[in-house]
Amino acid sequence: MSQSPTSELTLIVNGEKHHVEVLADEALVHTLRDRLGLRSVRPTCGMGICGTCTVQLDGSVVSSCLLLTVQVAGRPVVTSEGLRSDDGGLSRVQQAFVDRGAYQCSYCIPGMVVTVHACLSENPDASLEDVRDYLAGNLCRCGTYVSILEAVTELVESEADDRP
Amino acid sequence: MPDAAERVVGTLMYTVDHSIEGMVHGKLVRSPYPHATILAVDISRAQASEGVLRVITGADIAAAAEIPNPLFGLARRDQPPLAMEKVRYAGDPVALVVADTPANARAAAESVMIDYDELPFVVDPEQALASGAPVLHELWPGNECGEWRLETGDTDGAMAAAEHLFESEYHSPMASPVPFEPHVAVAVWEGNSLDIWTATQWPAAVQGELAHMFDVSTERVRVRTFPLGGGYGSKSQLKIEPVVAAAARMMGRPVRVELDRDEVFLTVAKHPAKMWIRTGVDASGRFVAREMDLLYNGGAYAVLTPKAVAQGMLRSVGPYRFPNMRIRSRGVYTNTVPSGSFRGAMTNQCAFAYESHVDEIATGLGIDPVELRLKNLSCDGDRFATGQVMHDVHFHELVQDVTQVIGWNDSEPPPMSGRARGKGMAVILKTTAPGSRSEVRVELFADGRVLVHTSSVDMGQGVLGTLAQLTAHHLGVDFEAVTVLDPDTAATFDSMTAGSRTTHVADRAIREACESIRAQLALFAAEQMGVDPSELRFEAGSVAGPRGERLRYSEIVGRARVSAVVGEGVYQSAPSDALNEPPDVRGVVADHWHQGAVAVEVEVDLETGKVELQRCHGAAWAGRVVNPIRARQQSEGSIIFGIGPALFEELVVVDGQVSNPNLSDYMIPSILDVPIELTSSSLESADPDADIHGVGEMTIPAVAPAIANAIARATGARIRHLPLTPERVLRAILGAEQV
Repeated sequence: MSQSPTSELTLIVNGEKHHVEVLADEALVHTLRDRLGLRSVRPTCGMGICGTCTVQLDGSVVSSCLLLTVQVAGRPVVTSEGLRSDDGGLSRVQQAFVDRGAYQCSYCIPGMVVTVHACLSENPDASLEDVRDYLAGNLCRCGTYVSILEAVTELVESEADDRP
Repeated sequence: MPDAAERVVGTLMYTVDHSIEGMVHGKLVRSPYPHATILAVDISRAQASEGVLRVITGADIAAAAEIPNPLFGLARRDQPPLAMEKVRYAGDPVALVVADTPANARAAAESVMIDYDELPFVVDPEQALASGAPVLHELWPGNECGEWRLETGDTDGAMAAAEHLFESEYHSPMASPVPFEPHVAVAVWEGNSLDIWTATQWPAAVQGELAHMFDVSTERVRVRTFPLGGGYGSKSQLKIEPVVAAAARMMGRPVRVELDRDEVFLTVAKHPAKMWIRTGVDASGRFVAREMDLLYNGGAYAVLTPKAVAQGMLRSVGPYRFPNMRIRSRGVYTNTVPSGSFRGAMTNQCAFAYESHVDEIATGLGIDPVELRLKNLSCDGDRFATGQVMHDVHFHELVQDVTQVIGWNDSEPPPMSGRARGKGMAVILKTTAPGSRSEVRVELFADGRVLVHTSSVDMGQGVLGTLAQLTAHHLGVDFEAVTVLDPDTAATFDSMTAGSRTTHVADRAIREACESIRAQLALFAAEQMGVDPSELRFEAGSVAGPRGERLRYSEIVGRARVSAVVGEGVYQSAPSDALNEPPDVRGVVADHWHQGAVAVEVEVDLETGKVELQRCHGAAWAGRVVNPIRARQQSEGSIIFGIGPALFEELVVVDGQVSNPNLSDYMIPSILDVPIELTSSSLESADPDADIHGVGEMTIPAVAPAIANAIARATGARIRHLPLTPERVLRAILGAEQV
């Protein structure tokens, strides 16, 4: 059996351009992990259910295990690493998770962070119910959900207080 | 946690992220048959595939001179790295294809041709015990995989004299721990020395068993691991390490294997159990006798089953007084996924049985189930069924805590029509792991840094943070100064990170190490100040002399001209031979008693049978809480973990095959399955030096029985099979036969 053909393409990941050669049937999660070294993106179920490979594509959350890399050439992809500020500081969502201790084994947490970013950029005043619905596709086997909800709802409240 | 930012951003290194120079990649070929003789393995096409370096079979390993003892297993050495002569379950690894890339190994694995001769197979434990059943292992006729007994008092006499007798049978199915990081290992040999990085909870067990397999001294096997992306028992004992180490040995180069998701499901499962209980109760509602028969499905290989069924038996005693008791507990081989540890190991199954049973007794007697529990719970100074005197017993406090929070006696508004509402609770006992040992080495440097060498594995419980906190406390330094290193068997020995033991044992070992360092600092400081050590006083990070002089730790180390002041500490659990010789168990079986309770409120849709958890509260006896955030994560995480096997998780075997080895067909709790009101308590002693109790698994065993009891109180329907699926609930409500 021979390998599938390869394609050369340009990816835009976390604001940077990468020229890569990928297999035609290569899933985005493997390109991000194995070729670009972005460890936050993790394949767990391989079928778009668990959410540990969640990234933003064109600003929407997607499971990178369900996308072929060749499909996303030239389109902006953002991973949890790319949500940090330019100086490497944590994003407000990431900081909220740290402050609440909203992590255990943490394998699922970067995917949660990516999803929460999308949720709050869509609706900065997201209610508890909104956040729950948004996170329904991000599974956590350690069962950190309660702390995660607290981290996000506290963030929403504090940012609402900060707004004029 | 010191590494919180890395955890949240996603840059934390797990074993799955580890690579070493020159490593090649293995893909396992697994049996499609539950029981079959291997007639021939044709590797020619696979061997000729692109990038393939070698295809290894069980026969190759059996013939390899450098692998003198290929069979492994901590309770029985019955498992080969790759099947030899026959396969014993659908999913048994038969060959390993090693190639330059994972993709090439995967592609070539499909072209390994194996001829099998199918054998009769058995997946039901009772059928496996029947005469004429297929035998999995010739060395263990009758498929026996452990048998234990526990007997105290005159059970038959007490049953005969009892006012009431209650008898039921309960079933807990196969389930899967589902760690998100898969099993993964990379091994490299240099001469007769093996370096292996593996996602394991038991580095020392991997070290010892691999040393035996290759007949090298344990010092020549170095096992390291990174924080785990979840363990929950699945990374206990040995899993893929033997085949990875064997391949690296035979090929003379580093080999890495990472399992696919379906393979993780096929590697280890929770012991399915059938549990029969009979209880004698006197006229005042006191339990006078208990009889149990426990039958555990061990799957195709022993792993730890012959010993685990003894733990299941001890834990089935539960938190109640029984003057007369007789239990038999058996494990049996079947042609299914090997059974192993699962969070709340050997406690979840029996707790579902005995706590459902207590509610059935209360219903039968017409009294409140909490009242019945309070009347029968064990107290300090009681004797456990093995004769051990119990101390530090707090079941009454736990029951009071959870019933108060859930509002046990409060009247609630009626549910919408078509729905029923009810509250339920359960309280559990778990024994601690027997015969365990932990060593730590603490090093204090002249720049003030403190390094802690331990082989406790961080798997989400935050042990690196907890151990740093304990070290800071016992040494009297800032938390930020302390770094806890990842596990390394070359540095320290630790039996395992399992059984909710680590914080309890590490506290003692670290205290001993820190006391040693402080004693050395006192000697150095006395010499440096020209005073007697007895005149010194320890303050935060420094030592003060009688005339107000003060030296910081770092100054003392620097002036002493040593590279570091080193303290070592050891925890060794009390020696006990209670579990050495089957079948009878007597004497000391636990260092202390793990204790937990859960109360829930549910609503049941009477048309669909769907159960909705409205509220849930869990409590663990912590003794002394080291870190409130992490203690809470353990209790609430345990509850959430427990919701899955209670309501919907089951690994289904059809025609000898696991039919749902994926996260679409095997569902685990999502955020939508978690009640909005989910809380927990970690109960503490008033004594600031109280014994630390593990809190990692204290609530999970109580979740399923609490929910089953709530369903019964809401609807009158008693369900004795897990999981409590809508179909089962609906059938029970309709009074139909249980499924």
